[in-house]
Amino acid sequence: MKKKYKLVLKVPKTPKSAYNHGRFISSLIEHQIKHFHDVEKALLKAGQKLTDISKIKTELHASKYLKKMTALLHPQGGDKPRRAPRPSKTRSRTKTVTSRGKAKSKQSIRKRL
Amino acid sequence: MPPAGLDNLRHIVVLMMENRSFDHMLGGLSLVMQSGAKKYPKTNGLTGNESNFDMNGAMIPVQPNAKFQGQLDHDPDHHFPGVDLQIFGGAPLGPGRVANMQGFIKSYTTQGTSVNASHAIMSYFPPEKLPVLTRLATEYAVFNGWFSSIPGPTICNRAFAHYGTSFGNVDMNLFYIQDPIQSIYERMLQARHTAKIYYYDQQSSTMEIVNLLKNQPQIFGSYSQFIGDCKSNTLPEYCFIEPCYNDHPGAGGGQILASDQHPDHNVQEGERFIANTYNAIRTNQELWETTAMLIVYDEHGGVYDHVVPPACESDGYTAPADKTGTGEPFKFDRLGVRVPAILVSPYIPRGTVVPGTEDSNGFIFEHACIPGTVTNFFLKNYDQRTSREKKSNNFLTPLTNTLRPDDDCWVFEV
Repeated sequence: MKKKYKLVLKVPKTPKSAYNHGRFISSLIEHQIKHFHDVEKALLKAGQKLTDISKIKTELHASKYLKKMTALLHPQGGDKPRRAPRPSKTRSRTKTVTSRGKAKSKQSIRKRL
Repeated sequence: MPPAGLDNLRHIVVLMMENRSFDHMLGGLSLVMQSGAKKYPKTNGLTGNESNFDMNGAMIPVQPNAKFQGQLDHDPDHHFPGVDLQIFGGAPLGPGRVANMQGFIKSYTTQGTSVNASHAIMSYFPPEKLPVLTRLATEYAVFNGWFSSIPGPTICNRAFAHYGTSFGNVDMNLFYIQDPIQSIYERMLQARHTAKIYYYDQQSSTMEIVNLLKNQPQIFGSYSQFIGDCKSNTLPEYCFIEPCYNDHPGAGGGQILASDQHPDHNVQEGERFIANTYNAIRTNQELWETTAMLIVYDEHGGVYDHVVPPACESDGYTAPADKTGTGEPFKFDRLGVRVPAILVSPYIPRGTVVPGTEDSNGFIFEHACIPGTVTNFFLKNYDQRTSREKKSNNFLTPLTNTLRPDDDCWVFEV
């Protein structure tokens, strides 16, 4: 059971309009990318192509490059894949027969799609 | 005998936000009136009379009209020459020049703002607009005199929080550490203690790339791992948290907002991030009673503050004139602009204010106090660091003997 607290302060939600991954990157993110680029150069193997960071203009571009480089250096920091919610025990499962003849729940088929 | 707050302390958590000055975020506290008297008289905030001249020669006072987003969309200058202009008002170089905090509007105009838009640099948040920061500052301890370590930008200031020095750097460029000075994480791990940097996620990543992430990935974790470590009582003895630095799609769908409060990221989202981080500790009773959490900003981000940064002990390095961009070398013998800093613990009495430069018995803090305090607390005698760090003030002094009852401490509903 969740503990009840006496003093609780509700924090306002941030408006959805605040999100803008097309925002141009700040000097801070630009330098963060340059630092990663230096690491990328050091790790480059023969035949591999260095990322052209001059094309990174927006926060979305930056986040993709940062993910690629961070995953390389620190793969254990990745998000765990979300598990599909387990069906309720009380609910009867609807079975579907696949072309291979194995029975699968509708949920797992939907997830694959 | 140390006070019970220190005796029971097992974890120190530092959350470092981005680019906002003390007056911008907390300066309004000293203007809040209740029954005809100031409600928070001890905070060295604003009187309402502080001002700068704009490019038309008009005197522009501070205004309680700061916005969460869209007001500082031209990123205010916070590189070394820009901050020099903000602090000295453009006075010519020389030994006699006096810091007057009169160059903030001048500096913001150099970023391409119109004369009217340049006034935004004098804006501040009324306390009710920042319920999380205000609540924490007034419920626990706020530091009147915590300054950024260098009158310059992020990377070199953050270096002080990790190493107690920036190794002579005053800018954003990468540098490879040659000196024997180790980061606080390496010091802790070598002494068989535990320490970690938690970055938000891989899309946002860390600012500590070439010297730490590349060479020592084992000291890193993600923010979701921080939340998990709080729940499972596996939080390291020392940890440093980085907020989300950019807007990006979430790994499992949805949208992740930058929570660092760097202009022009949404300040409310930073409030929510601070609240979530506080809650992660607050809602685990064992962790809550054994943890001190410092919320601090890396630098002022070019936004107005009225307190003149004081002199400080040099860390032994000199940045040459071609690196500072001002035409003068910098000996790391004065601090950068003041930033918000709040210490949270149930052993801190409500309304604690740590006096700063306004008080002849006050204390000056800067980011070298972070490794300084953590080293002194966990490792006791440790010599291989700058004398500036060794002499830095201990930010845990607000912890007392008395544990506040659970019903006396707030929780945020986020």
